[in-house]
This record gives sequence, C-alpha cells and structure tokens, in this order.
Amino acid sequence: MFAQLHDISVNFGEVRALDSVSLDISPNQIHAVVGENGAGKSTLMSVLFGLNVNYGGQIFINDTRKTWATPSDAIKAGIGMVHQHFMLIESMTVLENIILGSEPNKYLGFLDFQLAEKKISNLLETYNFSINLHQTVDKLSVGQRQMVEILKTLYRSAELIILDEPTAVLTPAERLDLFNSLQDFKNAGKSIILITHKIDEVIANADHVSVMRAGQLISSLPIDGTSQTQISEEIVGVSKTKSISRKKIKAGSVKLNLSNLDILGMPQIGNAFNLEVKASEIVGIAGVAGNGQSELIEAIIGLRSSKSGFIEICSRDVTGADISTRRDVGLCYIPEDRQKRGLALGAQLSENASISSLVSKAFSKGPFLRKTKIRNFTEGLIKKFDVKASSPSALASSLSGGNKQKLIIARELSLESDVIIAENPTWGVDLGAINQIHHELLSMRENGHAILLVSSDLDEILTLSDRVLVMFESELSQSFCTEKVTREELGKLMLMKASDKKEQKKINTA
Amino acid sequence: MKQFKFLYFLKHNTVRYFMTALSLFFILLLLLNLADASFFEASQAFLKSAFGGRRYAYLYVTISRCALITGMAIAALIAFRAGLINIGGEGQLVIGGFAAAFVSIYSGVTGVPGIILAILSAMIGGGLWAVLAGLMKLKLGVPILVGTLLLNYPARYITSYFVSHPFRDVASGMPQTLLLDKSLWLPFIEGTRLDTGFIFILIVYGFVLIYSHRSVPGYHAKMTGLSIEFAATSGINIFNTTLKTLAFSGAIAGLVGAIAVLGIHHRFTDGMLVQPLYAWTGIVAALLINLVPWAILPAGFFFASLTSGASGMERTADVPKEIAIIIQGIIILFVASRATGIASDTKNKEEGN
Amino acid sequence: MLADLFDPAFADSVARIAVPILLASLGGAICHRAGVFNIALEGFILMGAFAAVLGTFMLGHVFWGVLSAILAGIFMGLLFAEFHLRRPGDAIVVSIALNLIGLGLTTYLLRSVLGVSGVFQNEALGKITEINLPVIESLPVFGSFLSGQSILFYVSIFLVILLHYIYSRHKLGFWMRAAGENPLALKTVGIKPTPVKLLALVLCGVCCGLAGAQLSISNVSLFVENMSAGRGWIAVVIVLVTNGRPIPILGLVLLFGFVDSLSLRLQGFGFPQQFTEMMPYIASLVALIFVSIRRMKNLVGMRGYDNG
Repeated sequence: MFAQLHDISVNFGEVRALDSVSLDISPNQIHAVVGENGAGKSTLMSVLFGLNVNYGGQIFINDTRKTWATPSDAIKAGIGMVHQHFMLIESMTVLENIILGSEPNKYLGFLDFQLAEKKISNLLETYNFSINLHQTVDKLSVGQRQMVEILKTLYRSAELIILDEPTAVLTPAERLDLFNSLQDFKNAGKSIILITHKIDEVIANADHVSVMRAGQLISSLPIDGTSQTQISEEIVGVSKTKSISRKKIKAGSVKLNLSNLDILGMPQIGNAFNLEVKASEIVGIAGVAGNGQSELIEAIIGLRSSKSGFIEICSRDVTGADISTRRDVGLCYIPEDRQKRGLALGAQLSENASISSLVSKAFSKGPFLRKTKIRNFTEGLIKKFDVKASSPSALASSLSGGNKQKLIIARELSLESDVIIAENPTWGVDLGAINQIHHELLSMRENGHAILLVSSDLDEILTLSDRVLVMFESELSQSFCTEKVTREELGKLMLMKASDKKEQKKINTA
Repeated sequence: MKQFKFLYFLKHNTVRYFMTALSLFFILLLLLNLADASFFEASQAFLKSAFGGRRYAYLYVTISRCALITGMAIAALIAFRAGLINIGGEGQLVIGGFAAAFVSIYSGVTGVPGIILAILSAMIGGGLWAVLAGLMKLKLGVPILVGTLLLNYPARYITSYFVSHPFRDVASGMPQTLLLDKSLWLPFIEGTRLDTGFIFILIVYGFVLIYSHRSVPGYHAKMTGLSIEFAATSGINIFNTTLKTLAFSGAIAGLVGAIAVLGIHHRFTDGMLVQPLYAWTGIVAALLINLVPWAILPAGFFFASLTSGASGMERTADVPKEIAIIIQGIIILFVASRATGIASDTKNKEEGN
Repeated sequence: MLADLFDPAFADSVARIAVPILLASLGGAICHRAGVFNIALEGFILMGAFAAVLGTFMLGHVFWGVLSAILAGIFMGLLFAEFHLRRPGDAIVVSIALNLIGLGLTTYLLRSVLGVSGVFQNEALGKITEINLPVIESLPVFGSFLSGQSILFYVSIFLVILLHYIYSRHKLGFWMRAAGENPLALKTVGIKPTPVKLLALVLCGVCCGLAGAQLSISNVSLFVENMSAGRGWIAVVIVLVTNGRPIPILGLVLLFGFVDSLSLRLQGFGFPQQFTEMMPYIASLVALIFVSIRRMKNLVGMRGYDNG
C-alpha cells in the first residue's frame, strides 16, 4: 500500500504538536519513525489511524484522498495499528479479542466462531505464530499480548501496520521474534511503520528512516544513506549529551539491608532477597519491567508485607513498621508513577511539596498547619530545582511532566534521608531534566546518601551506579561492579535465572 | 490577561447558568401547571412560607431546618473530601437521634448536664455507626458507598422496633418514645420561637472551616481523598485517616439527630428523621457547592428555604411539597454535569469516549 | 412445622418477590458490564411502577401500563445518558439526583395528576396476565413456583438466558463488555463506546421499567409512595456481588426471594415486622461481605491501602 501524509498539522490548544509534516510510506518496506518523547510521532500516527480527526493537511491512500471519521474508516482502508499500551480486553479470550469489532455474523448478530477460528488458524499458519486461541488474555505474557495485537490487524487484512514502540516491553528474544515476523510481513507486500526511539533497532531492521523533532519532520532517508550517529544527532538536535562523570568515593557503612526477605505477591516464584546499599553508593537494579522490581520496592517502602526475613534501615529493623516510621528512620522514595504515587494532581503545589515533611511533623504545630512556613518551603523548592510553575498555590495538574518529576524529586531529596529509593526517575522526562536529575542523584551520593536505583534504562544504570544487579523472574543476580561488566553481559542476565549459576560465572569470568 | 480570563469565564458560564435557570423555570411551570396552580400564587406562597409568617414564625422554621440540613451537609462534605462516599448519613442520624432520646429519657440526668450527655451519646452513636462501615471496608473490603448505605436500613428498622415495642410511649398510640423532660429541651432564643440548635451547627461550621483548611487531620483527609496511593506512599496512615474521618462525619450526623430531638420534636418518633430526607438533602447541598467548605452554610440555607417554601406552596396553593425534591434533583443533575470534585472512580474508564 | 413453612403459597411468594429484583438486577448488570456505574435503579423502578399504574388507569389496559413503564424506564436511562455520557457528570452524583427525581416526581404526580396522597387504588387497575402451565402446575411445591405467575416472570427468566448468550456469543455483548473493561480498546477497533453505553442505559431502563410494572400491576394493583422501598439498592448489591453475570444473578435473586419469604412467614410466628423488613438488607450485606473478603484475598501482600 502506498500511503502519503501531506502537510499534516495538529494543534493542542495553543501548542503546535505537528507542523506541516509530510511522509510517504511504500509497500515492501519497514519504515522507522524515530524521535524523542513528545516529538510528535504518536500524534502523527493517531492522525493516520483516524484517532485524531482535528488536523490540517491531507491523507492519500494509493493516490486517492481519504478522510477518516473514526478508526474504523482507517481499518476498512487497510490500516492497522499496534498501540504502545495494548488495547485488549483482559477477561476475553485471544479469539474474542481478535474478532472484536469485526465479528463474523452467523444470524441476528450472533457470532460465527467456527469461521473466525478457521480464518485465524490460517493466519497463524501463514506467519508461523503459535498461540492458544481460547486462553484469556489476562494469563498471557507481554510478548503474547503483542502477538494478539498484531493478529488483530492481520485479521482485518491490514496492508499497512503501524507499531508504536513495540519493543519497549519485550525481552531480547521476544524482540528477535517480532522483527522476524515484521520481515515476513514486509515480504508479503505489506508496509510497516515502526515507531521507536531505539536507533540500533532501526539500523538493524528498517529500510527507511524518518526523524522527527518538536513536531517537525527533520529528515526522511533510506537506511543505506544514513548512519547511527547522523540519526542520533538529528533526533537530539544540537548535541546536548554531555557525559556525566562519577567521582570516586569510598562507600561507607550499610544503610539499607535486606536479609532473606521473602515478599508476598511476587509475580513469579523467586528466591528470598539479600541486598545491601551503603552510604555514598548508588546500587542499580536493571531488568525488564514486570520481573518483580515494583514488588521489591513496595516491600522496602512498606506498601507490601513479607513472609519472612527482615529489612534494616540505618541498622534499625523496620520489617513490620509502617511507611511513616520507615520515612522517619531515614527513607525517601521517588516513585515511577508520578501521576498516582508521586503527586495529588488536584492539590496545590504547596500541599504536594509539604506532604512528606508534614507526616514527619516539621510543618505543623500541634494539630495546626504552619501555612507561611509551608509556602516559603515550597517557593524554595521551586526555585532550587527550577520547577516551572506560576505559584505555590497552583494545582499540581498544571505542571508539565518534567516539572512534575522535578517537584517530586525536589521534595523527596529535601528530606535528606539516609536512604533514597529511585524508581525510573527519568522516565518520560526531557533531556534537560534528565541531566539535572542525574546530577542531583550523584550529588546526593557525594553527600553520603545511600541510593537504590531501579531502572529499565540500562544506560541510566550504567551511568549512575557503583554496583549493579539484574532482576529476572523475581530473583536478583549477584552484584557486579559497574566498571567490570558490559551492557551485553547485563542484557544476557536480564533473561536468565539467577539460579543458573554456571552461566553467571561464565559472564563474570569473561 | 487576567481580565481576559475573567471575561472568558463570565461569558462561558453565564450562558450555561442562564440555560440551567431557564430549563429549571420551564420545568417548574410545567409542574405547577400539572397541579393547577398559578405561578404567581405559588411563588408568593413560597416566599411567605420560606421567610415570612406571623412574627417571622416561618423564617424560624427555615433556620431550624437549615441547621439540620447544613449539619448533614457538613457530615457528607467531611467524608466526601476524604474520598469516602458516605451516603449512610441517614442511618448515623437516626442512631444519633434515638441515642439522644433514649439517654435523655432513661438516664435520669436533667438540665444542662443532661443535654450534654444526650448530645455526646448521639455523637458517639452516630460516629460508631459510621466507623462500622469503615471497618467493613478496611477489614472485609466492602465498598464504603454500599456499606454505609446498607447500614441505613438496620438503623431505621432497629430504632423503629425499639420505639414500637420496648421503649414505646404506649399512651400516645404512635410508634414513638416518651416526651423528654422539659429541662432537656433546647431553649428558644430570647424573644423568638427559634430553638438554639442552630448555634451548635454554627460552631461545627466554624470548626470544620479550621479543620479543612488549617489542621493536619483535615490535610491528611484531603490528600487521601485526592489520591489514596499518593497519601499512602507519603506515609499517611490510611487506616486511621479513614476511621477518624468517618467517626467525625458520623458524629456530626449524630449531633444533628440530637438537635432534632432536643430542639424540635422533644422525643423520637419512628421515621421523623428519615421521611424529610435530611440526609439526602445534605448530600445534595455538599455536591452543589463542589465540596467547598465555606459555601456549605449558604447551600444549607438555600435548600432549607426550598423545603420550607414548598411546604407553604402545598398549604396555600395546593402544590405537592415534593416539588422541592424534584428541584433538588434537577439542580444536582446540572451541577454534576460540570466535573465535580467527588472522588469516585467512575470517570476513570471514560478515556475512550 | 416445616410443612407449614414450605407450602405452595410459599413457593409462589418466592417467585413474586424475586421477579422485580431480578429484572432490576439484570438492568443494573447491563450497565455494570458496560462500565456505567448506575446506582439509580431505585429511581428507575419507581418511575416504572408509577407509569405502569398511570398508563393502565388512563388508557384502560395493563398492556398500555407495561408499555408506559418501559417508556418511563427508557426516559430515565436517557436522562442518565444526557448527564453522564454527553455531559461529564459523575455517575454517582447523577444517580443520587435521579433517585431523588424518581421519588419526588412520582409522589408529585400521584398528588397532582391522580389527586391522592399515599396510595392510589382503583378498580380500573388490572393485573398483568398470569399464565398457568399445564402439567407443571400440578408438581408439588415447584408447581406454584413455575406456574401461575405473571408473564413478566417468564420474560425475566428468558432475559437471564438471553443475556447470558448475548455476553458470550453476540457482538453487542462483546461490545458492551469491552466498553466496560477497556473503552479505548473498543474505540481503536472502530466502535465508539458512548453509543454502546447509551444502549446499555436504555436496556437498563426497559428492565427496570418492567420491574416497576411487576411491582405495581402484578404483585398488587396499586401504587404507594416510595413503592420500590429499597429494592433498587438490593439490586445494586446483587450486581456488585455477581459482577453482573446473568446466571449467578438468577441464583442469588432466588436465594433472596427465599430469605424474604421465609422472614415474612416468620412474622406469622410472632417475629416483629421490622425484623422482616430488615432481612433483605442484612442478607445483602452478608452476601457482599462474603464476596468482598474473597476479592480482598487476591490483593496478596498489599497493605496501607487498596484500590477500590
């Protein structure tokens, strides 16, 4: 299918999200669209797929002008989309999810399951997929769910398949399978649009690459005519990436100590946890999301209980203590989900900024709030961390994503707790803020704080951590000195049980 | 810029408020027409009965009613702000009212100590009834909304049984308790026929303003209401906050019951706190003002006037007084169609629309 | 004594008590599954019950009564949709408003249109046709349960089965389930969730209208102020307990009918009337606690708070 996007512009309020973007998609091609968060990739695709109908410009499919009222028009024209957040109904089976919205009719709207099953089985055979059609989706792995999403588009005979950040949640092996399938589709004459921000994937798999930045199309070239460096420069614009250096400091005494901790409700059956974080040390935990990292953090924070073992903060046993006791002893937490755990969006900035200290009674006098003190404190935080906000009484919902994150980090770091838990602290934040956050974390380290950094971004872990561990299927690997381990080795570990001691040793000695 | 925003606001909202008022007016005309009443006559009766009467007798009734409705509205507001959809104010009110009457009659304490004792028992009774729903939520997982609501019925029927059988004033022939000792009646304000019950509510009103804006427990409750996950991760004890807030909310409902018993009826009659829909009107008042604490008193007065006025229309213009309930419902429909601050999760799944 | 309790009249009363609650629960379930938190069932039923009486009285036949009840239910459903789907009203607030409007409007119209307060009774009010099934009616105990009931009894049983099949193998059922669980997913396959939810509200209106009709022109032939008397809330609880699945709803409603009839019987043995009236709510609470505990166990290990 030939698809052409011509002069597409989209405004969100006063913000121009897309600025006259034109893009040509050809059949038998994997066309990668790359760019940072907020560059406009997803917006462009939602226009092409009919999810966003308030746009300027034209869409041509096989040289005829098309307008969509809803996604179903786009679907009928042969466009399919695999969304970053899967669009599946958990309680329904694989089969039911695939046919939802395009159900084969038997009589009076009742469904012809046999016909559907036959059609889908054919697809499975053609593209060499294997999946149990009668399994409910809630029991599937992430990779399998993605397969269901792809099958949804194939079932609707899509000729153009858009994949939005398809590899973000996949293990390397699943990634390989995905790209093999994409090659099959390509050879079968389909067009593939691959939205991603991972350049190495683009270089290895795409035929054509278009770079977007700040709502504009920067370049659109065949893959042979470009290079990894060129793409990354185009993505970032003027090179802003400055390498951060970690000073050499000797780690101090143990501040956070998990000993044989057996946590309730882990996603897989794993081993009990043993972990130490010392003063002036950043310990990174790498791993693909969903391998028990959030449960581990919840247990340390006090949101989740454990069966056995103990947790010590600053040499004090806090295993059975509640959250506020742990915070009093010396713990702060930068959560991954800032909308839910990090802020109350409907509350004022000052109310958000003072919550941790209020719990520790610094801003109250008896049962009363010390309003002036709270306000001054908030103004201080805003200034120190360069949070772009109108006033301390503005609502938290009025801040942009990066500024929300800065406010959270400002608040938590201001507590000067001995132990800092940071969970994907730069997730979805722009480059400038990322640098600032990394810088702050490192200066906390220099000031003698113990930091546990959990991140699915391997580069972040390698930049910041002194030691690194890998979490896979609810088990922690042994810890490695960051200087003595490579990206590739850690990548391998992200797919390997810690109990496979032999393999680990191989890596260790390699 | 600021000016522009203000004009923008005015333009956008005037049209909306005007349309709401207009639709309300037409519905009102239609209803009055069904009851064969003239608009002029009905509105005259309404005004007289809400604010007039011989020596302002009706105005005193309105103020007295305002105290009860505002009290129930405060009870709802406190819980709603903490994200606890306590729609069981009715049960807490009934328990409080009965407790006040029971203690007044059978403790033998008279005079001011008796009044204090009655009010305290009513607050404890109402508070415990609300805490029961809180415990069902925290220990058993029963949603607050349904738990509080379902507890209305046992409260209603158990008290009904008490005043029909063991504690009945047999001589009166009605399902009600004995009359309270005169020394326990709340006195009238000098020179008027207005009982002092509303003073208690004014005190509560002031207390709640401080609680909501300047106190640590009020802050904890607000943050819990806005985002329970955030509050919990920040170290606020959700268990305590939930129970304390519910106890506070229920205690105020109980206090309202005590005021109705000590100040107005001087006994507990089956259904006397349920039939006038005090609890539901209170909830409606709290929702109308989008849970902003200072506005609760005007809102309570508004609905008290509405109810009083409607009774007047029934007396003189033969318009059923239920017109007040219909108007309440319609106002809330239009108000709810602005996004409200109530923290129910029902809108979260709406992304797809 | 047991024979005194469980006689044919007992079986008959189980069915009569169950039908309105069953119909209302099905209505609530349709909304619940489609992601509309409708707790205004009480108001819906009341409007249906009043419209049934008014229609029968004005137009002279129960058929018109049933039709009016359905239309009144649909009217409430559309009101709900206008304020919850088209405007961004919170479902709980809209529900509270509609419950008040249902109560206020029926009482108001009773006084202003029919000219009485309290109870409206008239010879012109008939009852919905009752059907006697040959052979089945002579079965012991179950005969009087299954036979001699109003048409709506059979309609409601049919609706349970129909709804079950609609959810498992009809596209509308699929869409409604998707609209409830993940509306965005439905949107991305090209079906707008809002009309699906609107449909659910209208169907809920139909069911609740029928529930009201069963109350006012089948179980009795009169209208009393606030006639639904909490049945809508019991239906809400039943929907929550069963998660809106039709077959479990039928089972639970029958259990309710049984408990309710039993407590009515016990009144004859000297139990106070208030005990009887309280029973359905206590039973609802027990059922809810039972299910809630089980659901809570799924949140293994979480403490401090839970979502819900």
